[in-house]
Amino acid sequence: MSTAPTPFGSVAEVQAGLESANYICSTQIATAVYLALELDKPILVEGPPGVGKTELAKTTAALLNHPLIRLQCYEGLDEAKALYEWKYAKQLLYIQVLKEQLGDVLAGAKGLQASLERLHEFGDVFFSEDFLEPRPLLKALQEEAGAVLLIDEIDKADQEFESMLLELLSDFQVSIPELGTLRAKGPRPLVFLTSNNTREVSDALKRRCLHLYIPFPEAPLERAIVQARVPEIPPALERELVAFIQALREKDLKKVPAISETIDWARTLLLLNAEQLDSQLVQDTLNVILKFQDDIEALTPELPSLLATARKSA
Amino acid sequence: MDASLQRFISALRMAEVRISPAETLDAFRAVDRMGMENRQQLKESLALVLPKTAEEKLAFDACFDAFFRFEEFSEAPPDASDGESDEGAPSSEGEGSEGQGGGGDGQPQGQGSESRKSDSPGGDPAGDGPPGDDGADPFGDPGPGPVQDAQSALGQQLQQGDRAALALAVSQAGEAVNVAGIKVFTQKGLYTRRIMDALGQGALQAEIGTLATQADATARRTAAQLSGLREDLRERVRDFVERQFLLHADADGHRLREAMLRHVKLSNVEHRNFSHLKRLVEKMAKRLIAAHSRRRKKMRRGQLHVSRTLRKNLRYDGELIDLAWKARKIDRSKVFAICDVSGSVATYARFMLMFLYSLEAVLPRVRAFAFSSDLGEVTENFQRMAIDDAIATTLADYSGGSTDYGQAFDDFLRVAGSAVNSQSTVIILGDARNNYGNPNTKALREIYDKAQRVIWLNPEPERSWGSGDSEMPRYRASCHQVNVCNALNHLERVISDLLVAVR
Repeated sequence: MSTAPTPFGSVAEVQAGLESANYICSTQIATAVYLALELDKPILVEGPPGVGKTELAKTTAALLNHPLIRLQCYEGLDEAKALYEWKYAKQLLYIQVLKEQLGDVLAGAKGLQASLERLHEFGDVFFSEDFLEPRPLLKALQEEAGAVLLIDEIDKADQEFESMLLELLSDFQVSIPELGTLRAKGPRPLVFLTSNNTREVSDALKRRCLHLYIPFPEAPLERAIVQARVPEIPPALERELVAFIQALREKDLKKVPAISETIDWARTLLLLNAEQLDSQLVQDTLNVILKFQDDIEALTPELPSLLATARKSA
Repeated sequence: MDASLQRFISALRMAEVRISPAETLDAFRAVDRMGMENRQQLKESLALVLPKTAEEKLAFDACFDAFFRFEEFSEAPPDASDGESDEGAPSSEGEGSEGQGGGGDGQPQGQGSESRKSDSPGGDPAGDGPPGDDGADPFGDPGPGPVQDAQSALGQQLQQGDRAALALAVSQAGEAVNVAGIKVFTQKGLYTRRIMDALGQGALQAEIGTLATQADATARRTAAQLSGLREDLRERVRDFVERQFLLHADADGHRLREAMLRHVKLSNVEHRNFSHLKRLVEKMAKRLIAAHSRRRKKMRRGQLHVSRTLRKNLRYDGELIDLAWKARKIDRSKVFAICDVSGSVATYARFMLMFLYSLEAVLPRVRAFAFSSDLGEVTENFQRMAIDDAIATTLADYSGGSTDYGQAFDDFLRVAGSAVNSQSTVIILGDARNNYGNPNTKALREIYDKAQRVIWLNPEPERSWGSGDSEMPRYRASCHQVNVCNALNHLERVISDLLVAVR
């Protein structure tokens, strides 16, 4: 196995690269990507939903010019869907087609024992790589030029699946009983695992990964993100909007708005040709940032004071 | 660097960040790639490799700041440590900067000694003696003027005022006396003295003594300067020890207390430690939940039931169409907890209930009963209130009377007897001291026959079972399992077994 030369010289280069791809991030995030490449380690990304965990993997793939191979986890995900499967239909079809050949192969063999021996000479034709259907994990290993593998929402998968990942993540190899151990063909893929923390990921898995926690961004970072993603937004509106969202995150809500909601809201307000936040406008578009009716109802009476705070800090 | 990273990692472990050897190696590799020059970068790199949960990240941040603040103080060049060090040492500050400006000339300066005298006469017991006084007054103020070179090694070092070198010497002395081994705060004085001794305080002390009694004004001036500098140094060493204590011993004390609380008899725990106990119970419960929620998932999944499948498909002429699975039925097992809450056992009941109800995630169907003479169901308390309040209410309501197990078992059968079936586990917590009343073993026998398991937890040590009014030997016959249970670790083991058994 060969390790590709690291395409980045420093953390700052990674950060600049991500920025050029419109992903504005803290140095902590850039450090994680840099170290993951340097140390050949997977990154386990945790954080509240909507802070750009998945986006980080996508952007990094684009930046490295590697294909992104994505595996969405869910309860009941198993090896057949994640790792590989035998192409049963193809196997059956081939057996049908080859039935005629069988007579030729067995010609001259006397008795059952001799026929069996003859058959053995052909080895496991039907369990070769030709009949192997690679699923995302195996596919990532087979990419010759390297790949970015995103294992999304690992916390949704079962414990058993997690254990199965251990071999892949520490040695970048996969054991298939019929074939033996398959290793990565090209350089090791860069692996991102994301988790929303619906359940604790096992220690064994954590130990093999760099652990990156992405929190909600501070106001300056969030403003930079909005500016990058929605460049047409008027500066005054953008300042108020971010301040408002930041104030909102302090509240006791079922689900506080994440960056994705901030961006959606910015786009919405832009569509409505808003120049400034006012309480009618906020009231009308609140459903873009708050996803629970309870939250909206709880917040409505507080809107004026929240707006005032936002204006002050903007 | 290797050594300090190693020490940093052990400090992190003290702060309850779990770090495996593999992660230690990762940390070394990361530092190797990233270098030590940029503090922020170092912090961010290590934060990726070492702490792996949100809580651990917080602990890491605090630890990093405390630890590498000290490292900077000891290893960086003097100008880097300027803002850090000594609040109460203005003269050393002055000297330090002068030393840099003058290119480190070894000659101590009269100005430095003067500012010392005017700024902190506190170190000088008789600082106001008249100038030109003779040797009778040991610390007579010799007035401004030149001082002579100190003879002792430490004295020379102090006069040179190279703070970086001094700090390094302090940290080396600290290592020599193993300051990381500090355990309790009363040892701070001891370690301060040991470090001072290791630095060569003895020789300096002797020199100051001789100088101060000499007639020569220069000599006495030198003595005053040196003793001032020595005070500074002592202050700094005390600071250093304090920081080491916070890094190495504070968390250790915490852990010691936790380990102690696990094993100590619950009835002996002082009231002020209850909050610690509660946290401990929560931690133990969390671990049990993590361990046992896994198991359930596994059980839920079925395997092919070959014989049933074959039988089922006979009607299709043996072609397998309908598959039958060995699906495991989810156990609807119930736990009944019967707690003696009379005075002697109340504390145990408190923690068992706390434990049981902390396990709601994996043990959803717990019904709790409390008694001293009469028994009543208290499940509702726990559904309505926070655990603490529920326990307090329970104890207030039921802890009055004198213990009567016979009555309690009768009451239990009446209230909940019909709900106990072959999937129920009944846990009885009590010392089985029945005040020589009717033990009513028949009632317990009935519970035993109905239930899947009857577990008796007795806080008394086994040898006192059966002594006096204890009915334990007779009750024992009607229990599936009897355990001594008087400390949290007993409780944890019993409940862990219970979780295995009931699901």
